[in-house]
Amino acid sequence: MRAATTRVRYGSGVHSILGIAASCGLLLGAAQDARAASRPTEQYLRVPMPPHFRVEATELEGPVFADEHGHTLYKWPFKLLRVGNTGDPAGETNCTDTKTTTNAGFMSPYPGGFTLPDVATRPSCAQMWPPAIAPIKAKPIGKWTLITRKDGRKQWAYDGAALYTSALDRRPGDVLGGDTFEHRGDDPAVRVPVQPPADLPPGFAVATTRTGRLLQTEREFSVYYSDHDGPDKSNCDSVCAQTWKPMLAPASARPHADWSIFERSPGIRQWAFRKKPLYRYTLDSYSRSLQGSDVPGWHNAFTQMAPPPPAGFTVQNTTAGEVLADSHGKTIYTYFCGDDALDQLGCDHPTETQAYRFAMCGGGDPQRCVRTFPYVLAPKNARSDSRCWSVIDIDPRTGHRAARGQSDALHVWAFRERPVYTYAGDDEAGDVNADGIGEFRGEREGFKAFWLRDDFNRRAG
Amino acid sequence: MKQTPATPLSTLTHLVTTALALLLGSMAAFGADGTAPPDGTIAYVLTDLHWAIYESADGKTECPHGFNEGNREQFKQLFPEDGTQRTLLETQLRREIDGWYPTTAPDPFPFLEAGGPTAYGLNLDGKVGPNDFTSPDGEKGVDNQLYRALGCIRNYRPPEGAIQGFDNDEVTKDVYNRILIELSGVDSLVNDADVQVTMYRGRDPILLDATGKKAIPGGSQRIDTRWGAKYIQHLHGRIKDGVLTTDPVDLVYPWAVFYIPTDEYMRAARLRLKLSPTTADGLIAGYTDIETWYSQLMRSYSTHHQSYGQSSAPSIYKAFRRLADAYPDPKTGANTAISSALLAKFTQVRIVPESKAQLASLPPQHPVRPYAGPPYPRPAAEEATEGGAKVAAVMAGSGATH
Repeated sequence: MRAATTRVRYGSGVHSILGIAASCGLLLGAAQDARAASRPTEQYLRVPMPPHFRVEATELEGPVFADEHGHTLYKWPFKLLRVGNTGDPAGETNCTDTKTTTNAGFMSPYPGGFTLPDVATRPSCAQMWPPAIAPIKAKPIGKWTLITRKDGRKQWAYDGAALYTSALDRRPGDVLGGDTFEHRGDDPAVRVPVQPPADLPPGFAVATTRTGRLLQTEREFSVYYSDHDGPDKSNCDSVCAQTWKPMLAPASARPHADWSIFERSPGIRQWAFRKKPLYRYTLDSYSRSLQGSDVPGWHNAFTQMAPPPPAGFTVQNTTAGEVLADSHGKTIYTYFCGDDALDQLGCDHPTETQAYRFAMCGGGDPQRCVRTFPYVLAPKNARSDSRCWSVIDIDPRTGHRAARGQSDALHVWAFRERPVYTYAGDDEAGDVNADGIGEFRGEREGFKAFWLRDDFNRRAG
Repeated sequence: MKQTPATPLSTLTHLVTTALALLLGSMAAFGADGTAPPDGTIAYVLTDLHWAIYESADGKTECPHGFNEGNREQFKQLFPEDGTQRTLLETQLRREIDGWYPTTAPDPFPFLEAGGPTAYGLNLDGKVGPNDFTSPDGEKGVDNQLYRALGCIRNYRPPEGAIQGFDNDEVTKDVYNRILIELSGVDSLVNDADVQVTMYRGRDPILLDATGKKAIPGGSQRIDTRWGAKYIQHLHGRIKDGVLTTDPVDLVYPWAVFYIPTDEYMRAARLRLKLSPTTADGLIAGYTDIETWYSQLMRSYSTHHQSYGQSSAPSIYKAFRRLADAYPDPKTGANTAISSALLAKFTQVRIVPESKAQLASLPPQHPVRPYAGPPYPRPAAEEATEGGAKVAAVMAGSGATH
């Protein structure tokens, strides 16, 4: 293994990952919460909500709507798949109490009608995704409406989309059932957490990336700030502004919350975020770029940063960008899976079937699987500083959670409660030989390198 | 006095005059014989890349028994809709395992190899053997067993073949695949016995004409010295009668399709390109590393995409292994590479000098190794006892022959 590059870049500067490790490796209990609370979080617009519903700040997705128990609310967007479609059309729900036992044949060239793995224990859609049932006397409010399920019960909907919670989420702020990362065409019809509108001026947008919630223009071009500027003051002169285009505020714009406006020259108003003047990088050749942050003193702007990876993890250069890697420089992989049933249930969490993963990681042999895609082992006393990274005990023979006290359990790192892996077929730091191993390049189910930056095909978000 | 704005006619005259001056200047810059590039250096960007598949007019010369069937057809033979309730594990996932963990167990399905006397390529080993082809322009001893494996699969036959189409489209569309070659020390584009060739990865889109399809010369490219450092490779060659031929080197080159970052690796690779001031067209030939090639196929093309043009990855893997003709594994003796050729087209570009200046600060690059394949491969016997036995039984009943 070639020597690892042990630097990580997280938006507001370059930090030694060893430094991050020293600062967050062994925090416990209240200290974890205090540290998490100290990170700036994304602001959102207050909108009318049903009684007792609320908004939870989350680590990766930013603010999400939650029910009265703080459980994240999800929608199931209708999606056209290779053969047919599924998900919820506007104002309807297709997630029922009926257990699905066979695949739907959505993914060519395979037909439907085959018995699904672990069918005896496979939950129904509604068991996995409990509908957000409304009280009998509930009334629509704002974008919140009510739809009637087949059993006559009322279910909350937001902006026309039926709402659910996830059986995987246990605590307020958990978002384990779905995400807002960019999904590709052959991904399953995934569930997406529902969010309040971000508190952004017109012309701005925000996107979930592996590094954080990336501030961008409405056309998805990244927004930057400079170390050379002062609070609400730009030092980017006319020559500089040819490369770094100031994000101008119209005369009618007003400052609010994290957003301020200053005059960069008489009559020319510029937006600042948390007092940092904002710019677009004219040399960005693709959307959601991190290229501008290569220029010394310039940084991508984020509304909130993703939590740092576990202590000892590194960042490696590949032929396409940067990936997260273990302490030896071996690329970290996640395994993602959505099955080909009508209800598109997940198959990548340790509580779900492992049959798909065993097929991909070991040709159906769990032992070969563990050798080919080793779990990333965590030190015995390792603790995570965040919710999205955790340490779990896995039974290597089944891929499920180990029983308490199980002698051969593996103590492994997990991201969003899914174990992460390396690949024995990667020889050198920066190899990504397992990226795309799986059905439809891993979009439907398979292994994906943990991309932090992709300068070619935007896979870090 | 206020200057009179230029009329359209005078503007046109000015443009034509300027263009003529630039053209004449450019021609003068190409040296006394009109063929030496300025400063002895000329660069090109790759715009077209296909595995070289020779096609007769009706396909019957090379594929007299027709074309191969693919994943979809094989799956139907294995698992006919006969009312049997099957599991996803024994059907879909079994076939996916056959693709991701291929073995050299005999292929129970018939596989049609390309035959006939003709194939594109080069005489890589300097010999004329019984399995060699003759090139369309008469060169004997052409080594191209990859053609024998792929020639009767529709996916790889231009212009309709889906995989060859996607492969080629992505050469221009995805900057990840931006391959540049720069010739230096060139005294003449017609004859020069000593030419240095450097391969880089570029960072920029290709300059296209108004149709958005055809590359035109004169574009600029920056060198990717950050992510693309491993693609910087040095070759030596000569130009004879306007054709550049390079000495064999092991070559790694990016070829990603549908965004997964994948490479190809060709051993003893050599370029044979017909040069002009604006284009370089011809062949890249050598011994393609099988595991790297197969990884690129599987990670780029799902079973669905392979089915567009009736290809089956497990069958192709077995064919490659059967036909592999070079670089034996020191432990097993099995050949790891297969003779092959690529049809390539390049268009002249200018490499941005500032990006060349960054080359000096690059650390030395170590030789790139090909991908070794699954680290814990599935034994052939395992395939035979699992899906393979069933396949064999099905095929025995169908009367198919290997």
